[in-house]
Amino acid sequence: MKLNTCLIMKSTFLKLGWLGVVLTVGSFRALALDGAVVIANSGVSAGSLSADALKDIYTGKTKYWDGGQAVIIAVLPDKTDAALQQACGMDTSSFKTFWQRLAFSGRGQEPKKAADAAALVALVASTKGAIAIVPADAALDGVKKIEVK
Amino acid sequence: MKKNKRTDTQKVWLTAALGAAAACGASAYEVPLSFLGTNMPPLEFHGFASQGFLYSSDYNYLANDTKNGSFQFSEVGLNVSMNPFPRTRITVQGFDYDVGNVGQYDPFLDYALVEYTFNDEVGVRAGRIRRPSGIYNHIQDVDLARTYVLLPQGVYDARFRDFTASLDGVDVFGDISLGKAGSLAYETYAGMVSMAGNSGMARYIQNNLPPTPVGQFNSIDSTPVMGGQLWWNTPLNGLRAGASFAYLSNFGYHVNVMQPYGPGAMHCVGNVPIQQYSLEYIWKDWTFQAEYYTYDFTGHFYVPAYGNLSVGANWDNPDAWYFGVSHRFNKLIEAGAYYTQFHIRPKNPIPCSFQNDAALSLRFDIKDWWIFKVEGHYIQGTALLRDNADNSNLGSDRGWFMLAVKTTFSF
Repeated sequence: MKLNTCLIMKSTFLKLGWLGVVLTVGSFRALALDGAVVIANSGVSAGSLSADALKDIYTGKTKYWDGGQAVIIAVLPDKTDAALQQACGMDTSSFKTFWQRLAFSGRGQEPKKAADAAALVALVASTKGAIAIVPADAALDGVKKIEVK
Repeated sequence: MKKNKRTDTQKVWLTAALGAAAACGASAYEVPLSFLGTNMPPLEFHGFASQGFLYSSDYNYLANDTKNGSFQFSEVGLNVSMNPFPRTRITVQGFDYDVGNVGQYDPFLDYALVEYTFNDEVGVRAGRIRRPSGIYNHIQDVDLARTYVLLPQGVYDARFRDFTASLDGVDVFGDISLGKAGSLAYETYAGMVSMAGNSGMARYIQNNLPPTPVGQFNSIDSTPVMGGQLWWNTPLNGLRAGASFAYLSNFGYHVNVMQPYGPGAMHCVGNVPIQQYSLEYIWKDWTFQAEYYTYDFTGHFYVPAYGNLSVGANWDNPDAWYFGVSHRFNKLIEAGAYYTQFHIRPKNPIPCSFQNDAALSLRFDIKDWWIFKVEGHYIQGTALLRDNADNSNLGSDRGWFMLAVKTTFSF
């Protein structure tokens, strides 16, 4: 009886070990934004962001830049969906619902929307603390490009 | 209880007008403050308006006359926010709703808070705050934020939002990285919950009072509440597990009392611990959710005229759970289903002590600012009908149906 109990416990520990491996593997991700780049308002002090830091911004965990300026996310619906998914793990619909949940419960500010790439770049250029994912071929006038490491 | 001040038709038109306003905007409205001579950021406005329709086969459920179809199911919210100083945000939301006899389109302040974020790990909010509990409590009336028309009502009862949604107090929140083990998001709060004499909770109490000598419901106390919500965002992308706990201290209400203890007043008071456990997994276009909810109230009746003599008790100790799955097919269509059970404990097989509900929903995102939902329910049991004294034959074990339709406009 005692032996059987030990075997069961060993089996359980093995399963937990596999679960740990699965979770650890699941946590590893290399970021590559297909056909898109990250830009920010020229007043943003950061010149680069880690993939995790970018995800923290797009999932509302990081709400302020160093120095206290509020992060304002700007989006271009339909044009950068794949890159958005790579950046934060959510597709466009999930991302929209996620931020509506935050905004209508008093916990966050909904991302601003732009109609096209030029309008998005102009929006980021004119909005303090703004960040956006734009198509790689967009003209980046008046904004800074953020390197994602 | 107050009577409806507006007809169903007027309410539909009010919602339609707000929807038209949303359609004209289709995006947030910004009001710059430069005319005040400041360089402060603009005020940003968002809003939504929902109009629902409920039809049920056997009982009047949620609204008053669902057996004939009812439009008494509406919500309107308008919020404004700004970041006036570094790391500081101020946000306010006004809200107006109607669910049967609850809400009645009396506008009120839903939340009004100042938030200061020290860093990602620690922030503080003060004012009127949405109370976090589980996946949906803080957004229970935001139709935009879910697939379903009706959330599982044993966990998120649409009639009890005055009791569950907000508190006046302080909330400390943050997100702590656990390295490869993911992260912990926490919120802990303390404050007061205020409930009106015509609220959903008041109606529920009134219809569940013990028999004579206890008489009619009179008023309900403001109640101290404290609690917290913890989410473990696991390393597996999209998987999170949560636990929440709330404690209402000396929750009480007053009733009129008859002979032999009256005529006079009687006070029922007791503590209410509330627990909720949640699991959510978002994988590609699929969302899987499961939650368990329970509270335990034992209120003792005291008669002030007899030196606070204890003359009995009233208790309520239900539990509820659900499992739901939803799938987004494309940008236009999302479908979802859930199965939920609600039980009054100790568990009993008689139909008025439980309510099981299987729901199937379709959501259409017609425009960025306009969604439409239709949902069918097959329900067994009648335990959640207790707030409506008009329902008869609650002991029938026959299954019954409900249709829920809702449209929401937002900007």
